Amino acid sequence: MEYAILFLPLVGAIFGYLAKYFGDLTSQLLTTFLVCVSAILSIVLFYNGIFHGTYGNYLIYQWIASGNFVVNWSINIDPLSSIMLVVVSVVSALVHIYSIGYMNHDPNKPRFMSYLSLFTFSMLVLVVSDNFLQLFFGWEGVGLCSYLLIGFWYKKDSANNAAIKAFIVNRVGDFGFAIGIFLIFMFFGTLNYNEVFQLVPEFSQEKINFLGFNSNLITLICLFLFVGAMGKSAQFFLHTWLPDAMEGPTPVSALIHAATMVTAGVFLVVRCSPIFEYSQVALNFVAIIGMLTAFFAASVAIVQNDIKRIIAYSTCSQLGYMFFAAGVGAYHVAIFHLFTHAFFKALLFLGSGSVIHSLNDEQDIRNMGGIWKQMPFTWIAMIVGTLALTGFPFLSGYYSKDAIIEFAYLKGTNIGYFAASIGIITALLTAIYSWRLILKTFHGKFNNEHLSKSEIHESGMVIIFPLAILILGSIFAGFLFKDFLIGHHYVDFWKDSILILQAFNHSHIPMWLLYTTPILVTLAIPLSYSLYIKNDKLLERIKIKNELVYKFLLNKWYFDELYNSIFVKPVKAIGSFFWKSGDIKTIDRFGPDGISKIVKIISKKATKFQTGYIYDYAFVMLIGLSLLLTIFIFYK
Amino acid sequence: MFFDFLLEYLSIAIFLFIALALSIGFIAVNFAFSPKNPDPEKLSAYECGFEAFDSARSEFDVRFYLVAILFIIFDLEIAFLFPWSVSLGNIGLLGFYSMMIFLFILTIGFIYEWKKGALEWE
Amino acid sequence: MLAIKFLIPEIFLSISIFSLLMIGVFIKNSFEIIYRLSLFVIILIILIILSGDSESIKIFSESFTIDRFSLYSKILILISTFFVLLMSKKYIVDIKNNKFEYPIIILLSILGMFIMVSSNDLILFYMGLELQSLALYILASIDRDNIKSSEAGVKYFVLSALSSGLLLYGCSLIYGFTGSTNFEEIANSKDFNVGTIFGMVFILVGLAFKVSAVPFHMWTPDVYQGSPTSVTSFFSVVPKAAGIAIFIKFMYLPFRDVLNQWQYILVFMSIASMILGAVAAIGQTNIKRLMAYSSIGHIGYAIAGIAAGTENGFKSTLIYISIYIVMNIGAFACILLMKRDGKYVEEIEELSGVSKNHPMMSFGLLIILFSLAGIPPLAGFFAKFYIFMAVIESEMYTLAIIGLVTTVLSAFYYIRIIKIMYFDEPKKPFEKFVDYKIHGPIVLSCVLLVSFFIYPSILNEIVSNISIF
Repeated sequence: MEYAILFLPLVGAIFGYLAKYFGDLTSQLLTTFLVCVSAILSIVLFYNGIFHGTYGNYLIYQWIASGNFVVNWSINIDPLSSIMLVVVSVVSALVHIYSIGYMNHDPNKPRFMSYLSLFTFSMLVLVVSDNFLQLFFGWEGVGLCSYLLIGFWYKKDSANNAAIKAFIVNRVGDFGFAIGIFLIFMFFGTLNYNEVFQLVPEFSQEKINFLGFNSNLITLICLFLFVGAMGKSAQFFLHTWLPDAMEGPTPVSALIHAATMVTAGVFLVVRCSPIFEYSQVALNFVAIIGMLTAFFAASVAIVQNDIKRIIAYSTCSQLGYMFFAAGVGAYHVAIFHLFTHAFFKALLFLGSGSVIHSLNDEQDIRNMGGIWKQMPFTWIAMIVGTLALTGFPFLSGYYSKDAIIEFAYLKGTNIGYFAASIGIITALLTAIYSWRLILKTFHGKFNNEHLSKSEIHESGMVIIFPLAILILGSIFAGFLFKDFLIGHHYVDFWKDSILILQAFNHSHIPMWLLYTTPILVTLAIPLSYSLYIKNDKLLERIKIKNELVYKFLLNKWYFDELYNSIFVKPVKAIGSFFWKSGDIKTIDRFGPDGISKIVKIISKKATKFQTGYIYDYAFVMLIGLSLLLTIFIFYK
Repeated sequence: MFFDFLLEYLSIAIFLFIALALSIGFIAVNFAFSPKNPDPEKLSAYECGFEAFDSARSEFDVRFYLVAILFIIFDLEIAFLFPWSVSLGNIGLLGFYSMMIFLFILTIGFIYEWKKGALEWE
Repeated sequence: MLAIKFLIPEIFLSISIFSLLMIGVFIKNSFEIIYRLSLFVIILIILIILSGDSESIKIFSESFTIDRFSLYSKILILISTFFVLLMSKKYIVDIKNNKFEYPIIILLSILGMFIMVSSNDLILFYMGLELQSLALYILASIDRDNIKSSEAGVKYFVLSALSSGLLLYGCSLIYGFTGSTNFEEIANSKDFNVGTIFGMVFILVGLAFKVSAVPFHMWTPDVYQGSPTSVTSFFSVVPKAAGIAIFIKFMYLPFRDVLNQWQYILVFMSIASMILGAVAAIGQTNIKRLMAYSSIGHIGYAIAGIAAGTENGFKSTLIYISIYIVMNIGAFACILLMKRDGKYVEEIEELSGVSKNHPMMSFGLLIILFSLAGIPPLAGFFAKFYIFMAVIESEMYTLAIIGLVTTVLSAFYYIRIIKIMYFDEPKKPFEKFVDYKIHGPIVLSCVLLVSFFIYPSILNEIVSNISIF
């Protein structure tokens, strides 16, 4: 069963593409069917894991065996990976189904489905790995698929640019990640999780000299691993690629850039909790970056106008939540939020995809409005998604997000308190931008000039069905699983797949904290309604008064411009300098061009040397013999 | 003593003397009684049907070559058989069978060339 | 007499050769039968060797060794011969060279190689070498009505005789100075003086000629080009494997204590071969000639592994030559497909735009060429990787750097062929036929090359069990 879960998507990716010779539909059905089977199997696996404790490590085969260094391809099933399996394969199955409807006008359906399945395979490889190398394989695999899918419409320049941007920004992160892995291998001599984790305590005081700084080994490793996580999970400083990645088809955004791939960073941190726990510095760093991201992304999301970008920033912000949860040591809560977030964020993306689809690929929310009657089901889906995202009581987001804030508070450290307050503020911001999105899209005046309102209609069944499942998930996932994942007996579920060294200081949460967030979130609904529907004049005035702030937010804190002037332009200038005067004039002239000229000349000579006469050949042989004897005599 | 030593060679000396005398005698008789009608063709050197002083690269029938090679092979076989037969008493069964295998292989080759027609002049 | 049982493969091979010769000469038009029987014999011998035990043993007054090393070499020789013979069937029938002697001569040369790689004695070694060489002379000129083939045969014969002479002179020097022809005893004779070393150099020259290392490579391009393609494919693969095997054996057995003496020579030959192989191939227009230079270059890398002088060194060379064989069989199978209007063509230009008409063949050739150029993740990359690892372990950085540079240079001419195949104007398509005997090896070779990276340890594990000492 474990093998089937992992390899069915791969089979789907290969044969799904080949099936294009039998028509697009064959390919769509084949890939979808295989991924669905994989999803059902992983639910069964998860169920068995919870109730029967059937965890284990399944070897596929030995990959590298060089001396003491052994790396296996294997399927490691433990609580953490089984929950990730469910998230990945279920969301992926739904997205596959959804794509059949969403991509029905696209000429390259088999390619798309094949990429999706390949992505699913890579992601599964990543989560079931039992060593860092296989993890890295999956890590790069999902990066590649993300690149391919963002640039799926490769005829669009913006899609190509976004794909390249995503790839390059991720390269920065991957570089850090690779260094982290190198460090682990260098000092621990193994890449297997269990072996590394067992060795960590011995090395906790080890100092090494890095770039002239005498730093703690564990901290260094954690920071480098976290740089990788930052890249993949679009955290502050390395977040710029995620909003641009929305150039890809919407199902891709839902699957890769909301539910699965971007959470790989969180998964990595949680997976490495036995290492992170030994470095307070690294944990604090994680928490601070998480907070920054959560707040920053939420603030930017408030003023964006592209429906997908708003959700993308929202994703970024929620990932920030997960990271600071991990940073304060509440790994299980981070994963719980990851779990619920996957449902409602996929729901939001797929819902917005449905809207975009119905409005003939319109993405600007200023050109929408008042269409809730035309597409009631999508409307309901988006409302549910929004409620869940904002943490409206008793929906899934409520349990996970509040738990994050509570655990941050429970930590009892300064960072913890700070994180809790940032969490509350961000929750309010989240509520505001989410409702803005809903109100602007579905309510108010209809603003689209290219399309008459009557042409808009609800999407078909293939699109609605996944939404329905996700609605159920968004509503119930939190309530159903909170006891297992973060309840009092969470240790029973997680077993030893996560490690929490420091206990939480407070045992009781003050009542006011418990109520703050839900109240704020609920209040945000009428507030947004009045701001965005009733008194939009007021909003305009605020905008004009605080133009600086507005511009600052609209331009995403000027990050793209900043990077452009700090990195891109100088690099380009240096590059073109080296290219024109360095490369062409110096290196090429004396290097490749010069050498190739010399090689050509020598080649001609060597060809001429081959006269075809036996006596010449014999002569060369004898010369060679005497040459060898001479070499020997002189070297002796 | 030294004389005794030389005496042992006396028979050889006589033998040599008779041989010398006989051959000189034959040649002298031949020279005295033979008819002499010299012409250029008769006076030129003779070598396997070829001109003695000519380019070595001229074509000649490959069959000469073939026969020569076959001759060498069996010549070598004989050369190999002599020491074998002399020492057969010392080398035992292993030596005997080794030579039999060798001869068997040679026979295989011989059958092959026979069937291929290498021995037929035309 | 018990010793005989270790000789079963050789004895079986000899008896098969005799019987095949007799069958061939007594039955008319017997090529087909002999051809099939030879393939069958090869498979049988592979099975015999695989089913026997692989313990190390020395028989006949320690002049004949059976160990993992010789068994590995023999298996390598047999498998490569099998595929070469398999794929050259159509070609030799097409050029009307379907004489029944053809497979038998190949078997004879294998017998020679068997004796050679198993020998532990100079005399036995020389005997095997000559048996192999004699068969190869005939093979080179097998197309005797073709002037080029005859020329190739004569050239190969004369030069090889010269090298054999040098080698034999070396052997006699060694015998004269050490008083023994046995490898072990030569190694154990402590007083290695100038005479012995000179003998070693002469032997090295002879060996270098057999594997066509610079500067004893001169025959290679002419013979490769002149011989029928089927023979060239044999030449480029099987004698190379045997030659490298005996090369390793010489360096690591009788001469193991004078490593510092032969290392310079091997490094020199290796560098010279790598450079010449890379540079001279660029100017070639005939694909067989190009393959000749390519094989010179590859032999340079193989020798670099031996020159490392370590256990990892010769193991990396064994891996290298094994992968080289896979690549070359594939490459020559592709060349055997280049037939247009009933004639086989050999010019590189003829491949122009071939991808349009023969997408599968050109894709196969693409993989093989990329692998020959050593582009990851194909097997050719790993082959070079192991060599460079071994060389760097021995701290011979110059050799490693030159090796890397020549890899880049040689990538140029491999990729040029790819460029011609994919981006130039298409010519008239080649004759289309499907012959599993040719397409099978191509597919197999590509699959092996592509999938090698999934489990590179497998070859490593086999080779790591081999030791010479």
